[in-house]
Amino acid sequence: MKKIVKDYLGKFELTLFSVILALTFIGFIAIYSATRTSPNEQGFFFKQLTTWVLSLVFMVGMIYIPTQHLKTITIPFYVISLLLLIGVLIFGKVVGGQRCWIHIGGFSFQPSEVAKISAVLALAQFLTRQQTNIESLKDICIALFIGLFPVLLIMMEPDLGSSFIFFAIILLMLFWNGISMFGLFFVLSPGAAAIASLFGTYYFMGALVVIIGVLIFFRKDIFLSGSIVAINLAAGFFVDYVYKILSPHQQKRILSFVDPNSDPLGAGYNSLQAKIAIGAGGFFGQGYLSGHQTQLHYIPEQWTDFIFCTIGEEFGLLGSLVVIVLFGVVFLRLIRIATSERDKYLSLVVIGTLAIFVTHFLINVGMAIGLMPVVGVPLPFISYGGTSLLCNMSLLGIVLNIYKNRIER
Amino acid sequence: MIGEVSHSESRKPVIQFLVIFVLAVYISQLIRLQIFNHTELEQKSMENSMKAIEETPLRGVFFDRNMKLLVENTPTYTVRLIPAEYRAKSDSLLESIMGFAPGTIRSIIAKNSQYSSFVPLKLKRGVEFEVIGWIEENIDKLKGVNYIIEMQRGYRDSIMASHLYGYTKEINPKLLEADKYYTPGDLIGYNGLEKKYEQMLRGTKGFRYVLVDSRGREVTQDKARMLAAIKGKDAVLGIDADVQRVAEKELSPYVGAAVAIEPSTGEVIALASSPSYDLNEFSYFTPKEYISKLYSDKEKPLFNRASMAAHPPGSTFKILSAIAALESNVINENSTLGCAGGFTFGRFFKCHGHHGAINVVHAIEQSCNSFFYQLIFKVGLDRLADYAHKFRLGRKTGIDISEESAGLIPTEHYYEKIYGPNWPKGIMVSLGIGQGEVNATPLQLAFYCALIANDGKSFVPHVVKGYLDENKKLVPASYEEVNTGVSQKTFDLVKKGMFLVVNGGGTATNIKTSEYEIAGKTGTAQNPHGKDHSWFIAFAPFDHPKIAVAVLVENAGFGATYAAPIARKMMDAYLLKGKTGIKDYKIAKMEVPD
Repeated sequence: MKKIVKDYLGKFELTLFSVILALTFIGFIAIYSATRTSPNEQGFFFKQLTTWVLSLVFMVGMIYIPTQHLKTITIPFYVISLLLLIGVLIFGKVVGGQRCWIHIGGFSFQPSEVAKISAVLALAQFLTRQQTNIESLKDICIALFIGLFPVLLIMMEPDLGSSFIFFAIILLMLFWNGISMFGLFFVLSPGAAAIASLFGTYYFMGALVVIIGVLIFFRKDIFLSGSIVAINLAAGFFVDYVYKILSPHQQKRILSFVDPNSDPLGAGYNSLQAKIAIGAGGFFGQGYLSGHQTQLHYIPEQWTDFIFCTIGEEFGLLGSLVVIVLFGVVFLRLIRIATSERDKYLSLVVIGTLAIFVTHFLINVGMAIGLMPVVGVPLPFISYGGTSLLCNMSLLGIVLNIYKNRIER
Repeated sequence: MIGEVSHSESRKPVIQFLVIFVLAVYISQLIRLQIFNHTELEQKSMENSMKAIEETPLRGVFFDRNMKLLVENTPTYTVRLIPAEYRAKSDSLLESIMGFAPGTIRSIIAKNSQYSSFVPLKLKRGVEFEVIGWIEENIDKLKGVNYIIEMQRGYRDSIMASHLYGYTKEINPKLLEADKYYTPGDLIGYNGLEKKYEQMLRGTKGFRYVLVDSRGREVTQDKARMLAAIKGKDAVLGIDADVQRVAEKELSPYVGAAVAIEPSTGEVIALASSPSYDLNEFSYFTPKEYISKLYSDKEKPLFNRASMAAHPPGSTFKILSAIAALESNVINENSTLGCAGGFTFGRFFKCHGHHGAINVVHAIEQSCNSFFYQLIFKVGLDRLADYAHKFRLGRKTGIDISEESAGLIPTEHYYEKIYGPNWPKGIMVSLGIGQGEVNATPLQLAFYCALIANDGKSFVPHVVKGYLDENKKLVPASYEEVNTGVSQKTFDLVKKGMFLVVNGGGTATNIKTSEYEIAGKTGTAQNPHGKDHSWFIAFAPFDHPKIAVAVLVENAGFGATYAAPIARKMMDAYLLKGKTGIKDYKIAKMEVPD
């Protein structure tokens, strides 16, 4: 009996599971506080509770799906998620200027959340192919294409926040797969060029000069270097194009991050109010259900994008640290599982999961504490949102599955 | 197909480090916000959500000297609109009810779009009861429209007193900038007493503290921090409602002014200027047509003639010449000067009669020009000016209403500045009889008369006697004492002359009455632009003066004909208060030039 329990526990990542369960409970507490006084969102608490039960079912299902089946479904799943992303652009419902939701029957979900998982699986699949050579420019480009094709569609919704996540997924998975420094530079430089182009032409030119300097340092052949410069140029112009198709409020959000004083009462307002809420929390917090910023709705979307403000205001530094430490545990656990996993595909899936969780966390919390632009992504396991919770719990299920069936080295 | 993970061992610490590093950065940012910036950000959070709502105190009212209510606060309807609840489809209905031009409501809403749409906008103040009835009738179609009761100034007792009271109006941006007490939409005194006594009348605002949500909606009220408004202080005026009403009524056909002062105290009993304007039109919402009518009127109704119109005082000034001469001993009561129908100084200056050898008392009684033509050369210009200043001529009296003209008493220096050291002395001739450059306002002449009546002693003229304390007891205001230092003997002489003006063979015998004894002096200010201005100053009763009056009727002619009867009626209203059967008297038709 004792052995069975021990055996079972040895196959079950109890720490990861309980930490994530704790995060979902914190989520319930925060969602209740953030929505109880607003007439339109009062039902969110119970909706989230229902989804949570469903997400546990998903998780259990994922724990027991044979891991080799994951590989089998990878390509169909990737194709379906792309179709869903196309579908949302056609049939989607516009909420807040964005076309992110598909409604089927009484349910609605965000295909972009699903696409994140499918991109992780597809990338893992591609990178573990025998003939894939991570050092070849062609294969890097294919990897980029797999990861970025959904971004192209998501940008048309447009959903800026989710797009960042995909970049992080690609980057982290390539890195984990052992990409060389030059390869990494090749992947990273368009991103740097893109961000620089947001700040203006001079920054973009500066970035290009640096990139050319680095290329000279690597002493690669002229054709390769030329292509990289061309890609960087294209990235800059692409961002410029994307910036133009963004809705004005999203443009303002980016502008207000680039120059915080550009619109103090508009886009900068959200960021300011968020900082006020967290600062007002102090060490012990204003007390549950007693945060003025939260209860009087000075923070927009405080049940999703700005849920961390509710925690920061009502539970203070103490509460915020608990959340951060719990996430830290999740991240380190995921790194450990990925490291110990001998199957490259599964290891990459865990790292992809890590990328999803880490970037969501970084953007969401960073937004609330004024370190990230206000682009709007949910905080995993805590923010209100069915699709996000279901996807994240499914990812947890996959990770638990991988842990359970791990082939230790 | 199991691929070997070849790089994870080397890449793991990099990722671990990155994750821990970023978490550390976030934690330090949290510490910065929640520990170091906590106080400041918590303060900001409070500023966000705690809203102080002002409670407007009741403005102090005006009582007359007999505690009759003159200016009160009357409730009036203000129609408001809450943009967040209001629907644009109600525009045409609401506009027709309110009597607005189409599109008015859109523009009002657009103008206030920077405020929270949950904060009510004031559409119109002082709305008629019928309009409220219509709103009530259609209240279900007018979502977001409501009305509140606000206080408006109400003027009692059929007294206009527009120039005296002044009016209250919504504060303008300039004044708002100057005094932090006020907030937009506050009413502030713009003129007269309302302006001068603004601080006393406005009271102290109270505050309610409410929690508002991000859309400006009140959530709860913080009872503990409530601060009640303190009512403004009620002012008690020296004004006598009856005298004021009579003065306004009698002046109304003319352009002119009348001022009555209690000689012993300096209290202003009446202060009227004609033409006048309707203060009711100024409270809250002034129609553009009314304003432009007032501004285009060539008689300038907004101009307070009582304290601002400076005209030559004419023969009323002769008393001052006499006082200056007697006081500087250039003449005594027995001195006589000859009048042969005029006086020659370079040219011939006319008198209106042949008074022969005449002494000072009779010179006042008869208003003999020749006597005073000669007198000014004996007294000298500067000495005359000195005495004039003692009687607050040629300088502001210091009355407690905002606008006042100083008038003009020329000195030698004044002429030297204009004409050089060899200025023609002939100019002085007419100054002796109050013509030429010398100028005085009705207020100045009333106070001058009050000082004569009270033998040279009084207080700076003032409208406000004091205010009422919490127990409704008068707390008197203190005013500077005025003492001319002129001897009793001199006053006895000039007052005798003034007595004879009315009761002897003087120029204003038409207002003589058996009820009480009046002393007075007529005056006619030469007006190069048209008909002469008619002046009359008087005090009564002669033995124990209770009222001193100055009346100016512009472009009317001889003083006794127009100004004197008005003065008499004002004195009647004051001295014969409550007595029935005050006989009307005829206006004398004396077409004698001064």
